[in-house]
Amino acid sequence: MAGIELRNINKVYGNSFHALHDLSFDIRDGEFMVFVGPSGCGKSTALRMIAGLESITSGELRIGDSLVNDVDPKDRDIAMVFQSYALYPHKTVRENIAFPLLMAGLPKTEIASRVDEAARILELTTLLDRRPAFLSGGQRQRVAMGRAIVRKPAAFLMDEPLSNLDAKLRVQMRAEIASLQRKLNVTTIYVTHDQVEAMTMGDRVAVMKGGVLQQVDTPQNLYNRPDNVFVAAFIGSPSMNLYEAVLNERTLTLGSSSFEIPDGVFEYRPSLNGASNRQVIVGIRPEHMNDAAIRPSSAEISAPVTLVEALGSESMVHLNIDAPRVDAGDPNAVADIGDEKAAVARFSPKSTVRAGDIARIAVDAEELHFFEPDTRISIW
Amino acid sequence: MHRAPRLNVSGVLINAAALVLVLSYALPYIYLLMTSIKPAADVQQIPPSFFPAVVSFENFREVLRSSTLPRAFVNSLIVAVLTTALSLSVAVPAAYVATQYRRRITTIFLLFALVTRMVPSVALGVPLFQLLKSLGLLDTIPGLVLAHTSAAVPLALLLMSAFFEGVPKELEEAARMDGCTRFQAFRKIILPVMTGGIAVTALFTFITSWNEFLYALLLTSEATKTAPIVIAEYNSVYGLAWGAMTAAAVLYSLPVIIVTLALQKQIVGGLTFGAVKG
Repeated sequence: MAGIELRNINKVYGNSFHALHDLSFDIRDGEFMVFVGPSGCGKSTALRMIAGLESITSGELRIGDSLVNDVDPKDRDIAMVFQSYALYPHKTVRENIAFPLLMAGLPKTEIASRVDEAARILELTTLLDRRPAFLSGGQRQRVAMGRAIVRKPAAFLMDEPLSNLDAKLRVQMRAEIASLQRKLNVTTIYVTHDQVEAMTMGDRVAVMKGGVLQQVDTPQNLYNRPDNVFVAAFIGSPSMNLYEAVLNERTLTLGSSSFEIPDGVFEYRPSLNGASNRQVIVGIRPEHMNDAAIRPSSAEISAPVTLVEALGSESMVHLNIDAPRVDAGDPNAVADIGDEKAAVARFSPKSTVRAGDIARIAVDAEELHFFEPDTRISIW
Repeated sequence: MHRAPRLNVSGVLINAAALVLVLSYALPYIYLLMTSIKPAADVQQIPPSFFPAVVSFENFREVLRSSTLPRAFVNSLIVAVLTTALSLSVAVPAAYVATQYRRRITTIFLLFALVTRMVPSVALGVPLFQLLKSLGLLDTIPGLVLAHTSAAVPLALLLMSAFFEGVPKELEEAARMDGCTRFQAFRKIILPVMTGGIAVTALFTFITSWNEFLYALLLTSEATKTAPIVIAEYNSVYGLAWGAMTAAAVLYSLPVIIVTLALQKQIVGGLTFGAVKG
């Protein structure tokens, strides 16, 4: 086992495309780190560079105490699970799992016992003599995991290993991988574009966009204290609602509505104090907008309801707030909402608002997020 | 409960159409076969008969007793086997690199391989003759093998490239993560996965060399004459020895048929490789 350290890692391809910009952070020994971001953000490139499958243009990569920039993948002591699983189709499950041990030159008895142990952990014992073609998606995924864990490597790298599974199996495997990682306590880097996977599995999550690291933190901190507009919108589903607003003293004007911001916010974000008609980007999480008819609040806004999605335990209420909406730069955020003007609120199922109503919305003003309009960085 | 057997009309029609198609392709060969087992006197009778009145292996005995044909068969076999081995050992790794490590240079390389297929063999025959003469390889097995390889490699390269296109890059990467060098990954993982494609390519290469006529005619004289040349020589100044020629041709076609049947499973696997996602 070992920690992994990235220092100013850059990747520039032959066509001068700059895929990664000065990536720097540490992954602690035994930690489960998730790289998350939209397509093309460089998360898989970063993983492949750690694996040794992509060269490093500049910067330093250390696994344990050794600089591994120019070390061959086979000599890095890391195992990788691929999105496509990359099982060897001509080998049985047993031979697939045994292959890395065979390459390491372990004695046959040792190989047999370790393969049996991995198969037992992953419940593959009855499938050991089958070829990959005769396995289900979930079973193939398990074999790929088996091939990784059998080596007892310094670190696991996983490149979207669940994206080929159906939704139900994905949830099940998500829990299994997370618990397996805790049990084995091996440093793990997991790449995904799914923020739910990132939030539920990772000890820490590195959010990336356009080859630039946006924030590395625990899932809870990313959610509660996003560093910038992108992270705020990317983490959480449905996404945070982001609007241009004006703060004057303690009064926030959002479109045609105005309300007072409580004192607590100014203690938490002291640089908001003394604002005089200051332009800000305000972020409101869906769960911080409620039906004022059920939970009245001093901070209220009104907006027409365009759609109500009743999910049983809650209702997703789509609203047209009359303030300029802010594009977070996350393609998934717009897809989430469907209508780029709409805000989404998470109402109690007891709410009786319907599409076409003008709803009174109680805003939980203590929980508002504020960002600089120019830099899009959080205002603290 | 038993279901009454029903006549599958469309199945019968498709099979009938397939039979007609096969017969139309196979008819010349069947005629060749029939002629080869006719007694020498019946071969040139007027009007000709399709089926032999009497089955006779006289023609086969004659060609096998002759001094030239068995020797030519051995030459053909040696040349075809060596050409296949040499072509595959060049084309398989080259095609893998050209498809998996795509660069401008590899695209140009594949394009140039195609260009050699566009030039008529006869245009290459004379330079090849000069080249082999200067190397002292005229009328030698290695000389003919090299000539055949020069013709077979582009074909093998293109076929193998098409097969390698279907191999996911992750397979090699997984092997490298599992402790292989690039070459070990190729040898231990990629090659075994590609047996179908390699079998198909080997067969086509073998047939290319086995059937090759022009280079064999230009580059060999006595010692290394291959079977197609000897068979053609039955058309002598004294007339065309139909019986012997057909018997030799039947014998000559057997190895290809046997190899095709032996590799049938791999060939079908190879031709449908990548058609369905595993």
